[in-house]
Amino acid sequence: MKRKLVIYIAAFVAVGTFGSCSRSFLEKTPQGQLVTDQMQTVEGCEATLIGAYGLLNGNLDGTWGNYASAPSQWLFGEVGADNAHKGSVNSDQPNMNQIELHQVTSTNDNLEVMWTRCYEGIARCNTTLFLLNAVQNGSGAKFTAERAKEVEAEARFLRGHYYFFLRRLFKNVPYIDENTSTTEAITKSNEGDVYPMIEADFKFAVDNLPATHPQGDIGRPDNIAAKAYLGKVLLYLNRQSEALPLFNDVIASRPSIETLDFDDNFKIATENGPESIFAVQHTINPDGSGDNANVGDMLAGFYGSAPVNCCGFFQPTFDLVNSFRVDANGLPFLDNSYRTNPYKSDFGLTGTAKENYALNQTIAFDPRLDYTVGRRGVPYKDWGVMPGDAWIRDPSYAGPFVAGKHTIFETEFAANSVSGANYVTGLNVNIIRLADVYLMAAECAADANDLDEAKRLVNLIRERASHLPGVSVNGSPAAAYNVGQYTDFPTKEYAMNAIHFERRLELALEGHRYFDLVRWGIAKQVIESYSAFEGSILSSFLGITFDASDEVMPIPQTQIDRSGGGLKQN
Amino acid sequence: MKKERRIAVVKSAIRLSFLHSFAILATSSLAHANTYATANLEPLAVSAASFYSSNPQEMTITGTVVGKDNQPVIGAAIQVKGTSRGVIADEKGAFSIKAKVNDVLMISSIGYAAQEVTVVAGKTTYNIVLDNSNSTLDEVVVTGYSSQKVKDLTGAVAVVSVDQMKRQPVASPTEALQGKATGVQIVTDGAPGATPIIRIRGYSTINNNDPLYVIDGVPYEGKLSWLNSADIETMQILKDASAASIYGSRANNGVVIITTKRGKPGQARVNLDMYYGSQNPVRSRFPDMMNPTQYANYLFDAFRNTGDPAKAPGQEATTGTNYGLDPNNPTLPEYLLAGSATGQNVTAADADPSKYNYTPKNSQTFYQITKANQKGTNWFDEMTQNAPIQSYQLGINGGDENAVYSISGGYFDQEGIAKYTGYSRYNIRSNTRFSFWNNRFRIGENMTYSYEEFYGSGVNNNTPGDYIGEGSPFGFAYRIPTIIPVYDIMGNFAGSKGDKLGNGQNPVAMLYRAKDNKNTRNFFFGNAYAELDIIDGLTARTSFGMRYENYGGVSFTYPNLEFSEGGTQDGMSEYQGYNKEWTWTNTLNYKYEKGDHSLNILGGIEAINQKSRYLSAGRNGYFILGNLDYYYLDAGSGNISNTSNGGVSSLFSVFGKVDYSFMDRYLVSATLRRDGSSNFGPENKYANFPAASVAWRISKESFMQDVSWLTDLKLRAGYGITGNQRIPNFQYLRRHQTTIARANYPIVDGKALSSGFWVSDYDNPAIKWEQLKSTNIGLDFTIANGSFDGTLDWYNRKTTDMLFKVPLPAAAVGMGNSPYQNVGTMKNTGFEIALNYHYGFADNKAFQFDLGANFSRNINTVEALAPSVTQQTYGNFRSLTTTILKPGSPFGAFYGYQTAGIYQNADDVANSPSYEGARVGGLKYKDISGPDGKPDGVITPDDRTVIGSPHPDFLYSLNINARYKNFDLSMFFNGVQGNQIFEATRYYTDFGSFDGAASTRMLKAFSATNPSNTTPAPIRTSNDYEYASSSYYIQDGSYLRLKNIQIGYTFPTEKWLGGRIKNLRAYFTATNVFTITNYTGIDPEVTQTPSDYPALGVDFGVYPLSRQFLFGISAGF
Repeated sequence: MKRKLVIYIAAFVAVGTFGSCSRSFLEKTPQGQLVTDQMQTVEGCEATLIGAYGLLNGNLDGTWGNYASAPSQWLFGEVGADNAHKGSVNSDQPNMNQIELHQVTSTNDNLEVMWTRCYEGIARCNTTLFLLNAVQNGSGAKFTAERAKEVEAEARFLRGHYYFFLRRLFKNVPYIDENTSTTEAITKSNEGDVYPMIEADFKFAVDNLPATHPQGDIGRPDNIAAKAYLGKVLLYLNRQSEALPLFNDVIASRPSIETLDFDDNFKIATENGPESIFAVQHTINPDGSGDNANVGDMLAGFYGSAPVNCCGFFQPTFDLVNSFRVDANGLPFLDNSYRTNPYKSDFGLTGTAKENYALNQTIAFDPRLDYTVGRRGVPYKDWGVMPGDAWIRDPSYAGPFVAGKHTIFETEFAANSVSGANYVTGLNVNIIRLADVYLMAAECAADANDLDEAKRLVNLIRERASHLPGVSVNGSPAAAYNVGQYTDFPTKEYAMNAIHFERRLELALEGHRYFDLVRWGIAKQVIESYSAFEGSILSSFLGITFDASDEVMPIPQTQIDRSGGGLKQN
Repeated sequence: MKKERRIAVVKSAIRLSFLHSFAILATSSLAHANTYATANLEPLAVSAASFYSSNPQEMTITGTVVGKDNQPVIGAAIQVKGTSRGVIADEKGAFSIKAKVNDVLMISSIGYAAQEVTVVAGKTTYNIVLDNSNSTLDEVVVTGYSSQKVKDLTGAVAVVSVDQMKRQPVASPTEALQGKATGVQIVTDGAPGATPIIRIRGYSTINNNDPLYVIDGVPYEGKLSWLNSADIETMQILKDASAASIYGSRANNGVVIITTKRGKPGQARVNLDMYYGSQNPVRSRFPDMMNPTQYANYLFDAFRNTGDPAKAPGQEATTGTNYGLDPNNPTLPEYLLAGSATGQNVTAADADPSKYNYTPKNSQTFYQITKANQKGTNWFDEMTQNAPIQSYQLGINGGDENAVYSISGGYFDQEGIAKYTGYSRYNIRSNTRFSFWNNRFRIGENMTYSYEEFYGSGVNNNTPGDYIGEGSPFGFAYRIPTIIPVYDIMGNFAGSKGDKLGNGQNPVAMLYRAKDNKNTRNFFFGNAYAELDIIDGLTARTSFGMRYENYGGVSFTYPNLEFSEGGTQDGMSEYQGYNKEWTWTNTLNYKYEKGDHSLNILGGIEAINQKSRYLSAGRNGYFILGNLDYYYLDAGSGNISNTSNGGVSSLFSVFGKVDYSFMDRYLVSATLRRDGSSNFGPENKYANFPAASVAWRISKESFMQDVSWLTDLKLRAGYGITGNQRIPNFQYLRRHQTTIARANYPIVDGKALSSGFWVSDYDNPAIKWEQLKSTNIGLDFTIANGSFDGTLDWYNRKTTDMLFKVPLPAAAVGMGNSPYQNVGTMKNTGFEIALNYHYGFADNKAFQFDLGANFSRNINTVEALAPSVTQQTYGNFRSLTTTILKPGSPFGAFYGYQTAGIYQNADDVANSPSYEGARVGGLKYKDISGPDGKPDGVITPDDRTVIGSPHPDFLYSLNINARYKNFDLSMFFNGVQGNQIFEATRYYTDFGSFDGAASTRMLKAFSATNPSNTTPAPIRTSNDYEYASSSYYIQDGSYLRLKNIQIGYTFPTEKWLGGRIKNLRAYFTATNVFTITNYTGIDPEVTQTPSDYPALGVDFGVYPLSRQFLFGISAGF
């Protein structure tokens, strides 16, 4: 019996040795994912670099919810300035009202959206650089020295871009690079300026990116893109004299601006043309979904009976529309007298007066107006004549206008928009285009008191505008289109004012305005003056006050909460 | 001889204890037949104890065992005291056993008081009448891998009265657990096939708080709707660590042990149970919305209150076209919509029905004509219905001493009170058991297969509260204006298309369009096992359990152009997936009993392996709409999408348990389990979970023998550690991922996508097991020969190294998933009281009743989060943030501003702390803090604080069961006291944040003439501070509900059809009879809203419980 017992116990122990193979039994492999070791290859590093580009559209996945991180920066750059209203109705996306009214609190979800998207982009750049280093120092196949430089330059260019987007909005942001461990990054302080690192990244890109797109891929920045971006950063740092040669290099590398078509910048068919310096590539996924498309601008899809039916955000202001008015010489009203007796479309009319409203085609406008804004009675792209309120959610709240640069032609819908959600399009968004560079160069020239050069550059932009065919209604122009040339920039102050105004007209609704106003130090004056005018028509926007604190956004509260004391509020 | 005899006695004692332990196994799920040594076991007994076989005085005793009602006690155990010899009574109660004069026969059966009879010379026939027992003390219950008598339990184990549980007509057995055991909180909703929340002794973690189920010995995690309550035989809840830690790594949230019905020897017995009834929405609880006239006035006030002449009411630009242009007197429109004309602008020509053109896929030609419902639509009424519920269950069981079987099949069908929703289930079960070699070797199986079908809007939720939210039909019923009719003039759905009708969806249309959405689940769960008695008292057991679940579903999208934000999209998507899990358990059990000593040693190993895979795909743009025969993926033209994913995990465990009792008076139990999990990395793959408990049966002490009223008194104390590993897999590895959506980029030409990678999941190589240390002190007592009994328990449960997905700042992880970390601490302390009174059972009186009361109090506190995280807000919904995790507060505490009334006048605004945009008539908040932690005179987000708790102060329930002759009555009350509910629906109905419906509550809003200090005045340009999360939303969630009342009658069938009908009972049941509560929402049972962590008790529009009336019959043949 005893022996039997021993045998049984032995058998049990034998069964227990099943435990000895438990080690492998308990080793499982992630499903549908790869671990870092598997990524330390040339291909893994390249693919991670593609991933770093993938955040340029401000979107991780899905379509809704990425408005604040739109590459167009319509929310902060335009709604946050005098060019556009949030639109829709007052109660929709109320946190965006805070941005429009400059009452932003740290819990505004738009801040969080912008912050997280940018840092995800940065993380991908850093992972690329980490893997590059591991591959080059590893035992397996390596990059050629040339491609290794390019990969590093591309990743640093992108990192510079993401940090620039963060820096100009939040000012005090923690700097994380490929050498920062995750643990350090958690509590990393946001004290200290990140501009030197941004500058260094773009400098590296300038030094190492080839003259043509790396790998021949249109989405990758070339040397010219790096120069333009570095110049822009330097301009934000008020280092105009260093920026100007870079801008001049960019200008020299492209056809003269007056030979290019203004509207080509906003059409699917002519994307990535000669004017595009660095653009976010948007496309519709093979399955028809829109994650890689221009989702940042989707809320600007019109409301009502328009061919796209969405949410009715992003409506141009009366102030912007009227700023396109020109005097007898075809020049803008630099003294803001365009606000006298403003053009209001059919706003405020009721009953039959509204029904029978007819477009006044005798108003003198810069033709860029009708490529920037949709207004009642004027044909809008190939969508037909803009019918007024029928495309607008609440005209009494945000006016009678719709925006014009982010939409595509109806004939392009099929291949370039999400079926059933045509407000999500494949239209690229230019981060820097040539006209921007011209006007930045003009600023630098004016700063250096080279007023003739500044005037030359502005006039080239205006010359190009004058080539723009006006929009016709029933065979006659929708307005008395006119664009004249400046004959003289008598003073530096006048020159700057003209450049500022030209920047507004040329780049309206492209996300520059708020940042320009802050950079120029005139945000308070411009926005409060705008509020008085705009508020006289749309009461919601009366009495906006702009304080110094409104020049930067609060650090998102949740990010502060998560940082273990690392982040300090602005 | 003396020595030999001693050995023989020892041997027989071992054998007896083996038989005993086997009996325990036999009465448990682990062994599915009452194969307590049968008459045919005799040779075994004889061969085992040759000493007895040579005894010349032995003779054959025969007899019958009956109850007081003179019915045979089938399966009663008859054992010769001090020997291993035992037999069981057959279906007539008859038995036959060998014994000698002066032997003592012990006769026992569950539910009866045990009896001893001494064999006297010359008498070979004994007819025994057993008394009914009040006491469950001798009931044998399954605990962890073994079973014990209730009286020997040393841990906190609740034995659920399955009979009472079954009185509640619900799909899921867990739902019926409500109020049936102390320390167990169930929160459910009315969706057919709902997944209730079950919490045992509170929330132990911010992660998954669901208990582990052990069904017939096989562990299972997940929802339980596949299991038919009728198949359940016993249910035990292991509440404290000393009871549960044998299940180690998965026992933190308690363990629910279920055994299913097993066969009994004897002729085949057929049982039929069925009921049919109606579920009626409790219409009196529907929230009241303003009628169109009231709403128009409210809307005009809201514009007037802006004080801005430009926003005066009665202009198209402000109040729109519906209510006319008189700024003082709104009028109602006849039409809401005719083509593009709206409200009072609709002319007779516009409303010409010949213009009507319902083209769902073309918004340009779509021409709808909708009349205003001037009386107002009651959307809750329109979307709900009285719905049938029915259940049929047929079971057969029987067998002989070598083979027993139990087979059952059932059908359950429940329509939802929300129209076009429902759930049905078909299930079959088979439990069999065979024994060989004189019962030394036994094999058996338990198998269940169920097929479930969920259809309609939001019924197949795998997480409680999955479909709660603004997107649900119930959510929209709070948002859609009452002036909108359900249908337009031609009978198609009307909606919010029109002027300023907001963006609510027609909930009836939503329900209707989802009617063909269907989810199905094929679920197989079962095990096969073998047991071998190696030597006396030593039993080896192996069990291989398998769970295979295959699920799938289709859902449809239809154009909804009647909706203001509607579209022309149509589409169909479908999904398929499976979960596969096997569990292999091997145990060795040794039982030793001698004199005053009783020892049981259990050792075992267990391996669990799990794999799952999921596939889904969808398209839109189908050529025709609504034809289910046409809807296959290939027929769709656009939005082609597809995805798949999967998971693998494994667990390996070694465990042991020792139970020792001395003189039945001093009981000690110790367990140890060592678990290894694929969820953890090399640094912390394994963990140990020890536990120990002691009990002292005071009533057995000699000094207590004179206390005659005290039947039993036992003091228990236990301490132990359990674990939790229920987090997503591979947290210890940094993982890179490519998906089209997340990391691709059209780098080459701006069109074609190139594949990119990103770090989707960050790693924490040091991740380890979450641990819960719990102490339990309990007292069990039985008084007055079982007339009273009760249990008191006090516990302290502290979770340390809590697995917490510490949300890391984006600077560290971008938008990748933060890894779980072991950082938090959470504490639950509480006490539980269960008291029962029984009358009339012991002496089988005509009138009998039971009274049971349960009381449970639990205090939950989050003690610490990660060092880097001082607090974590979640429950984000539009601009609301409802909930916070904060040390010192309970899990899921509500978070927001503390209201301080209403700003009464301009001075009040000027002199009180205020926020940017504060106004007269607006909500006033308390100035609690500033940026430096001190009140600063202004209201900013710093002033947000904890404003309520979703956890009740206590739960209570009362059970009454009475029987008079053939009539029986049971009533069950369930109560929850002291919790709060975040009534998030007020966001829509009270603040005018959307055009839509408004609560009649707002009729009492602040105005110059009605200076309310609670209800804010309507305003159109309200500042978002006003509808931010605040105590305005916080409501008392206490309630007392008569959950269930049942009246039954048992027919005297003895003489019917020659006694072929063994029993026949008919009953009438009403469920959710009444609810006493102050809560103003539709139902005070609010589950949770899934978020980063569950947002508990946040009511975005729940699926309310219905009142049910049903009639049922149970019959046995």
